[in-house]
Amino acid sequence: MEDKERKFPELLQKETTRRGFLRGTAVAASSAVALATIGSLAPKSAQAQAKPPEPKKDPMKFLFAERQNCTGCRACEYACSVYHTGVVRPSVSRIHVLKYKDSIDVPVICWHCNDRPCIAACPTTPKAIQADPQSNGIILDEKICLGAKCLKCKEACPAQYVWVNPDTGQPLMCDMCGGDPECVKACFAQSGNPQGPCLMANKLGFGVNMAFREVTPEQAGADLLDLTFYPNVGGKRLTPVKTAKTKKARR
Amino acid sequence: MTTPKGGCFGKILEIDLSKQTYKTREVPDEIFQKAIGGNGLGAYFATTEYKAHKDPLAEDAFIFIGPGPLNGTYCVSTRMSISHMSPYTGLISHAETGAHFGNEIKWAGWDGIYIKGRSKKPVWLSIVDDKVQFKDAAKLWGKTTEETHEMILKEMKDPYARTAVIGPAGENQVPYSCVIVERFRAAARSGTGMLMGNKKLKGLAIRGTKAVPVVDNAKFMDVANYAKKLAVEKEAWQGIKRWGTAGLLEQNNFFTGSLITKNYQTTWYPDIVKIGGEEAGRKFWKRHVACNHCPIHCLKLGVIREGKYKGLIAEGPEYESGGLLGSNLGMTNLNTELAMIEACDAYGIDNISTGGVLGFATELVEKGILKPADLDGLKPKWDDGETYMELIRKIALKEGKAGKLLAKGVKKMAAQIGKGAEAYAIHVKGKELAAHDPRGDKARAFSYCLGSCGGDHHEGASTRALVIFAMINSLSLCSFASALIWGGENAKITVGMLNPLCGWNMTESDYWDTGKRILTMERVFNVREGISRKDDGLPKRMTTEKLPAGPKKGAIFTAEDTKKMQDEFYGFVGWDDKGVPTEATLKALGLEYLIDDVAAARKEYKL
Repeated sequence: MEDKERKFPELLQKETTRRGFLRGTAVAASSAVALATIGSLAPKSAQAQAKPPEPKKDPMKFLFAERQNCTGCRACEYACSVYHTGVVRPSVSRIHVLKYKDSIDVPVICWHCNDRPCIAACPTTPKAIQADPQSNGIILDEKICLGAKCLKCKEACPAQYVWVNPDTGQPLMCDMCGGDPECVKACFAQSGNPQGPCLMANKLGFGVNMAFREVTPEQAGADLLDLTFYPNVGGKRLTPVKTAKTKKARR
Repeated sequence: MTTPKGGCFGKILEIDLSKQTYKTREVPDEIFQKAIGGNGLGAYFATTEYKAHKDPLAEDAFIFIGPGPLNGTYCVSTRMSISHMSPYTGLISHAETGAHFGNEIKWAGWDGIYIKGRSKKPVWLSIVDDKVQFKDAAKLWGKTTEETHEMILKEMKDPYARTAVIGPAGENQVPYSCVIVERFRAAARSGTGMLMGNKKLKGLAIRGTKAVPVVDNAKFMDVANYAKKLAVEKEAWQGIKRWGTAGLLEQNNFFTGSLITKNYQTTWYPDIVKIGGEEAGRKFWKRHVACNHCPIHCLKLGVIREGKYKGLIAEGPEYESGGLLGSNLGMTNLNTELAMIEACDAYGIDNISTGGVLGFATELVEKGILKPADLDGLKPKWDDGETYMELIRKIALKEGKAGKLLAKGVKKMAAQIGKGAEAYAIHVKGKELAAHDPRGDKARAFSYCLGSCGGDHHEGASTRALVIFAMINSLSLCSFASALIWGGENAKITVGMLNPLCGWNMTESDYWDTGKRILTMERVFNVREGISRKDDGLPKRMTTEKLPAGPKKGAIFTAEDTKKMQDEFYGFVGWDDKGVPTEATLKALGLEYLIDDVAAARKEYKL
């Protein structure tokens, strides 16, 4: 038994650095538990003083969308624009829901690629967009960004994710809300009966994001349409209605 | 005249189809405080701009597409309302629908779209923020709603644009034709499709990029978050999330005893298990679809997996569509029923009225009053889906004798056929009833009889609910995510959101007054057209035939029930015993401009 227990963390240590933060969480959590136990034994006044520090929430590193769970309610767009601008304004949201052929809702998100083609394409020095090492979010420096005349980042994005702010002409980049994305919280808050949440954070990544990003929203919609509505293929409009005669308009 | 500070822009997009021009109509804050928006604003325009006996299809007749102040904000599930004088009933009418179109109007910077005039050739409107374009719709004319929707989206070159279109039924002036919004949602029941067809307006597409201004954001978000939380958590409404309204099909058959069956002959239909929510969940549904910011996702999409219509992506059954085109026609085949629902949507005719008309015709054939010769040789009988499909097509295209007859609607059909057909005609004020039989569900009679637009199920099922629904139809909220979930807190939550949003000082008693004001405006409009207490009753079948079976066996809607209901409501809103708003009420509600109209109507109709 003991051997097995010892082996498991060792295995983790050998893993890539990207998995390192997982281990960090475990350590932080266990120490928090230890502190709490001590706290309960101490006298009350001391207990208030020696309140265990809240286990620090690990910044999230990836966003993931479980596409077939999306109901198209756009709570994510609402939460995103409220966080970034204070009011609801989907046109400046960093996440979007595409209605594909009226039958499928496709969440369009930033996959936070490992190689970040958007940043590579940014022509300015220093770069107007940079990845935050803590949250893995992309931070835009509005003072440096060239805006509408450039948008090289938009062209470079393989997922066709990048939207442009209609006011400034600058790209809208997902900054992961500093590590705790609002869209994920909003999606989770209203999911559950019977559909699970669509958006998640930190669940995936590890290279899967690199595969997901190669799929454009339209392609994702087309695939999901076939997957969902089999035996319908290609979202073909198999209308029950024979093509209506074009009648001359009468007054 | 003050410009609104928040919630509203004070700007309505006024479109003149005759001249193909558009302009901004400034609306002061006071009007929004008085009439809120949506249906209330529509009633305000109708009572201020129309004289009595207006021709609903006149060139200057208007269609008002109105979101409310809460649309486009953090408020849970906001919708839109289309109001106008109905060419079907000749009364004021409003049609509500979900989806994202209403919010997009607000994000484009408008408080509503007011359409008047009549185009010489078919057009559709493209609205992107302030930019309005009149586009040629020659190619779209005659196309189904789904084809039109797709072609418009293609031409918009923006997959995020939202559409509202009419189908062939609207073009052919079927009086119960509707507007289909974003392919699967309908703004129906009041003949909006006919009016748009008359104006040669095939559809609208809209996209907005702005935000709705909020006066006190922190306070507003507090209440909006609380309201949302109720919508997410309230125990009683979890069923709607799971089964949509289709779950009510079984509930109202086995428990409430109000599921209409075979043209309202009974409310007992055990075969409902073959076409109800459970069956749909097992054999048909694939996805849940939500409106704006809504945790309830009551719309269910599915695909037909076998039979003649295999592969058809369809929406439903909902309670009303599944009732009217299901149990009301004695259907036992879910797939055919769903194809019928889809056919109605594709042609752009109202599911509910179509179901009512088909049920009526079937019973008349059964009773021998109507002969197959009157219906182009077709002989509809219960559960005969293919004949119903053919009749739906004929109605939408007004084809042949059958199409022309059935497209008139139940009331005019009964008048034309005669021979005692009147006894089987189920309508209130010329509009077919929805799928709740008022003998089994007595509260529903409030909505059917006392609501402003005739046999409508969506106007509140009690005295107070009528006022609440007048408010939610004006705010363009969803009854599932707001009115019915907020329950007793309706006034508190609504006022709590509106005040910080718009910078108003509304009190809870103002909430009730505003609701009463909207109802009274609509009522005065109808009184001018000759409506009074005598019209606020149920069809003969409900008051003379006892329910033959089911949980409410023997139930009947008596004359006393009707009187009690009317007295209670008239007293609450301040109308007299003839159902006409009194002068004191008009003054108290700030509707002095209608006093002369009411006096003239009293004289004209001897009230």
